[in-house]
Amino acid sequence: MIKDVAKAWTGLWNYRYLAWQLVRVSIVGGYKKSFIGLAWMFILPILAVLVWIVLNGAGVVDPGDTGIPYPAYVLLSTSLWGFFLEIYKSTSNALANEGKLLIMKDFPREVLLAEKTLVHLINFSIPMVLNIGVLLLFGVHFGWAALLFPLSLLPLLLLGLGIGMIVAVLRVVAVDICTMIDEGMKLLMFLTPIVYAPKIQAGWLSGFIQWNPLAYLIGFSRDLLAGGSFFHPKAYLACTLGAALFFLLALTFFRATGKRVLERLVNT
Amino acid sequence: MQKTLVSVKGVSKKFCKDLKANMYYGIKDVMRQSLGLPPHNGALRPHEFWALDGVSFDLHEGEILAVIGANGSGKTTLMRLISGIYSMDRGSVDIMGVGKTTAIFALNAGMNPLFTGLENIYLKGAMFGLSKKELKEKLDFIIEFSELKEFLNSPVGNYSSGMKARLAYSVAIATEPNLFIIDEALAVGDSLFKAKCYEHLQEYVKQPNKAVIYVTNRIRKVMAVASRVIILDKGKLIYDTTNSAEALEFYINNCLQGLSEELRETRLRRVQEFEM
Repeated sequence: MIKDVAKAWTGLWNYRYLAWQLVRVSIVGGYKKSFIGLAWMFILPILAVLVWIVLNGAGVVDPGDTGIPYPAYVLLSTSLWGFFLEIYKSTSNALANEGKLLIMKDFPREVLLAEKTLVHLINFSIPMVLNIGVLLLFGVHFGWAALLFPLSLLPLLLLGLGIGMIVAVLRVVAVDICTMIDEGMKLLMFLTPIVYAPKIQAGWLSGFIQWNPLAYLIGFSRDLLAGGSFFHPKAYLACTLGAALFFLLALTFFRATGKRVLERLVNT
Repeated sequence: MQKTLVSVKGVSKKFCKDLKANMYYGIKDVMRQSLGLPPHNGALRPHEFWALDGVSFDLHEGEILAVIGANGSGKTTLMRLISGIYSMDRGSVDIMGVGKTTAIFALNAGMNPLFTGLENIYLKGAMFGLSKKELKEKLDFIIEFSELKEFLNSPVGNYSSGMKARLAYSVAIATEPNLFIIDEALAVGDSLFKAKCYEHLQEYVKQPNKAVIYVTNRIRKVMAVASRVIILDKGKLIYDTTNSAEALEFYINNCLQGLSEELRETRLRRVQEFEM
C-alpha cells in the first residue's frame, strides 16, 4: 500500500504541470466566452448569500440549541457539507466522464484526481471567504483557533475523495450500485446535524448521529471556526485516523482496478 | 544485428460483445482485483472474443513499422497495450532501453476548443508529460513545424480538422520519443504536410534508440515510409516482412480470400485503381 502511494505521488509529481493545465482549463474554460469572465466566480456566491439573508429575514423554525445564531449555523454547516459532497461528486465521475481521454493518453489517472481536488478547493474557498463575512454580520466571533479551520477540513476531504475514488471505478461497471450511493448521499445529509443541532432528541436519529463520522468531522470544523471550541475532540481524532486509512485503501483500490475498468467503458 | 527496442510476446486481449455481460465481468474483475487475485485470464466466457490473439514481434532501432489490417482487426488495441493504456490478458510487452513513449490515437483528444492554439500547445504538451520549461524550449519548433503561426491566438474550435491535426502532431513529435506510436493520426493533414511528416520521420529514426510504429488503412502510405510491415487479421498476426510491396500483395489477397476468381479480379482492379 505504501509503495502504491509512493508510485501515485511520483506519477503526480512528473505530471504536475498537466494537473495545473487541467485546473486552468476547468476554471477558465467555463468563463471563456464570457466578457466579465472570472468575476462570475464571485458574483454567484454573493447572490447565494444575499438570497440566504433575504430568506432568513422571512423567519425560520426553531431548530434546537445551536450555540451560535441559527442562520450562521446553517450557513456554515451547509458549506461544510458541500465541501464533502462536491469532492465526492467530482471525483466519483472522473473515470466515467473522462474515460475517453484516458484511453487516448497514457498519463497517470491520479492527475485527474489532483485536478478535481484543486478545482474543488478553489471553488470552495471563494464562497467560504464571503460566508465568513456573513458570519461576522450575524455576530459570530472568531478566535485564534479559527486559523486551524482550513487544516481541520483535511479529513473531510480525504473521506470524500476516498468514497469518490471507489465510486469512480464502480460507476463504469456497476451503475445500479452507484445510483444507490448517490441517493444515499442525499439521505445522509438529513442524517447529519446540518440544519438541526447535534443534540437533537429524535429517537433513532440521535443514535445514528452518534455513530455518523460526518457529524464529528463537520461539527469539529464548525465549532472551531465559529465558537473557538472543540467539538468532541476524541471522536474527531478517531474519525480523522479512520478517514486517512480509508483514503489510502481507496487509493490502492483505485490504482489496482482503474485500468481494467477503463476498457469496459462504452464511449458515448 | 539491430538493437531490439520493443519485444511483444504472445500478447492476447479479449473483449466482450454484449453490454450487460461486459458490465457483469467488469464487476467480477474488480472484486477479484480488490481481493488481490488476478483478473479472469483463462478461456473465453460467453460473449467474449479475442481482439488480439497471441501476437508476437520485435521492433528494432531505426525501424518504421506499419501495422495494417481491416477495420476491427485489433490494430488500435495492440497500440494501447504497447503504450500501457490497456492491460493484457496474456503475454508481455518488453520495452527495452526506451526512455519515452509517445502515442497519438485521436489527435483532438484533450484539446479544448475554446482555448487558443498556443494555450492548447501547452495543454497537449503537458498531457505528453512535458514540463513548462521543456515546452517553452520547444515552442519555436512546434510553431514552426505546425506552420500555424498566424492562427496561434485563435480558438482551436475554429481550426479545420487538418489544422488541429498539424498542431497536435507537432506537439507529439516535439516530445522526441524513443518509441513514437501514430494511430491513423495523419489521415486528415493535407498532402504537403503529410509529405513533410514522412520525410521528418525517416530522418528521425536515423538517430540512435528511435523507432516508429504507425497504424494505417491507407496502403499508399505504407509504400511511402515503412521499413517493415505487419498485418493483423481478426486479432492474429498473419504476416511480418521488411518488403512492403510483398506485404501489400499478401494483404490484398488475404482480404479477397474466399471470393470467386471473377469477383476477386474486379475487386483487385478496383483497389488498385483507387490506391495508386
